[in-house]
Amino acid sequence: MADRAAGLFFKAAAAVSLAVLAFIIGIILVKGLGTAVRPSFLFGRPQAMKEGGGIGPMFFSSLYLTLLTTLMVVPLGVGAALYLAEFSRDGRLVRLVRWGTESLSSISSVVFGIFGMIFFVIYMRLGYSLLAGALTLTLMNLPTVMRVTEESIRAIPWSYREASLSLGASRWETARRVVLPAALPGITTGAVLTMGRIMGESAALVYTVGIFVRKPPLSPLQPAAPMAANIWHLYTEGALIPDWMRVASGEAAALLVMVLLLNLGAGALAGAIRKKMGILH
Amino acid sequence: MTSQLCPGKMAGPAARSWAGGPVNPFKGQREAAIRWTLRICALISVVGLFLMVAFLLRESLPAWREAGFTNLFAADWNPGRGKYGILIFLVGTMAVSAGGLMLGAPLALATAIYLHAYARPAWRRVIGKGLEVLAGIPSIILGWLGFTTLVPLVRSLAGGTGMGILPASMVLAVMILPTVATIARDSLDAVPESFAEASFSMGATRWQTLRRVIIPTAWPGIAVAMILGLGRALGETMAVAMVIGPATAFPRNLTTPTHTLTTKIMLEMGESTGVHRSSLFAMALVLLALSTLLILLVRLLSRKAVQEFPGGVLTC
Repeated sequence: MADRAAGLFFKAAAAVSLAVLAFIIGIILVKGLGTAVRPSFLFGRPQAMKEGGGIGPMFFSSLYLTLLTTLMVVPLGVGAALYLAEFSRDGRLVRLVRWGTESLSSISSVVFGIFGMIFFVIYMRLGYSLLAGALTLTLMNLPTVMRVTEESIRAIPWSYREASLSLGASRWETARRVVLPAALPGITTGAVLTMGRIMGESAALVYTVGIFVRKPPLSPLQPAAPMAANIWHLYTEGALIPDWMRVASGEAAALLVMVLLLNLGAGALAGAIRKKMGILH
Repeated sequence: MTSQLCPGKMAGPAARSWAGGPVNPFKGQREAAIRWTLRICALISVVGLFLMVAFLLRESLPAWREAGFTNLFAADWNPGRGKYGILIFLVGTMAVSAGGLMLGAPLALATAIYLHAYARPAWRRVIGKGLEVLAGIPSIILGWLGFTTLVPLVRSLAGGTGMGILPASMVLAVMILPTVATIARDSLDAVPESFAEASFSMGATRWQTLRRVIIPTAWPGIAVAMILGLGRALGETMAVAMVIGPATAFPRNLTTPTHTLTTKIMLEMGESTGVHRSSLFAMALVLLALSTLLILLVRLLSRKAVQEFPGGVLTC
């Protein structure tokens, strides 16, 4: 009897968890998708004092920032993970790096944001810019990329490396031609999931990139306004725009769709790579 | 495979490593240069952390010097009159995090137990993927949803503005749900199959086995899951900022506006100068200290788990 009750209870809990997710996605899409899918909204110019504005520059900023950050954080993270998994002998150095990444990954995004403001925006004189934001987000997402990459490198059977070395390849040759290709599906999944996190980030960007622009930024040294940060702008100062609730709902739906596409696409992409390369494990 | 949601976790030592391994590892100077490049990549996280702490310390220096320790940790916040007490915000942070954990952790643990012991493989996959998707939902979207649906609901039930600790805790409960559930599930899964088999063979039911064998064995991992969930709640900014009020006052009850450390930093960093601004950096340092404390706690638990159960139940 108690056993039956416990089973029902846990099943109900899981159902509630799933319902919470469905509720969140459902409400955001119901309230905003109608607005978000209109080209005049998604690519349109924002309005300040009157209705009917779009989020074109914000949409572009989000894509730009995500691309820029990914181009920095993925090579760095993969390099670092490669070092930890394949090249390190120095136990003390490895422990130091692990301690550093572990600490970084526990820090709040608003703390990254104000550090980015002080260090990249002011001290390095980058100003409010895509580059300052991308550098801040690189530091913030480095631990995730490193962890995912290291896990997929460590999952490669040791015999692969031995086969390569026995043919006379050096360690770097082994890493480049054997280890990295075999780890590629895992690394890709991690990279795409990280892109989703970058696109959704707001707290670290308000004081590094900006929250509102009229025109799409061209140079990485220009200020920008990613969608997530722009929703914050609408929330705090949106009353200037008569239909700010509509704009924010539409922007939230657009952002959610982008993040969901990245999250759900990550696994599929990895599967495709695996299939193409004929990787079995 | 372990969870990607588990922030404290780094892959453990490999079963086999290059140390003392095959000879002839490098070919000439080019390879040595590559090795150095990769080493520098690895050190960037350490350098970044160091820079962060250094710059936060530097920026918060005026606050420590001019306001002083007792002023900073007082309950009185009024920068115009030289009062920089952060106690209101510290209390707010503690309250919403504890509230989020109290609301979110039971649901997360029950979901983890379902995934571990009851779910069929297909459901296990679906709910596992669902948790991953939930973890990926941007906090600004959860904040917006809280502002547009939760706050009006609380307002109609409790009156007032509808903002405060209650809606903030509810939003945070949703945020920590995937973190706690996945890590707890992984540590339940890590309990050797033979434990359950031994218990079943003695005639124990599934619930008895869970309660007396599996959960007690996995408890360090479950504790770690909750601590990491707490860590996520402590640092959350946007989702809380949109439903907390804000107001610089101790909350009279669960539905009166208040502030947290993160929301105060977020809302005032742009328009503050001098010691006022510096005290916001001091708040960031306090946040940093809190999350470091939690990481240390996780370390301690892992060590304890290894001592008690050398086979290793802790996946995180």
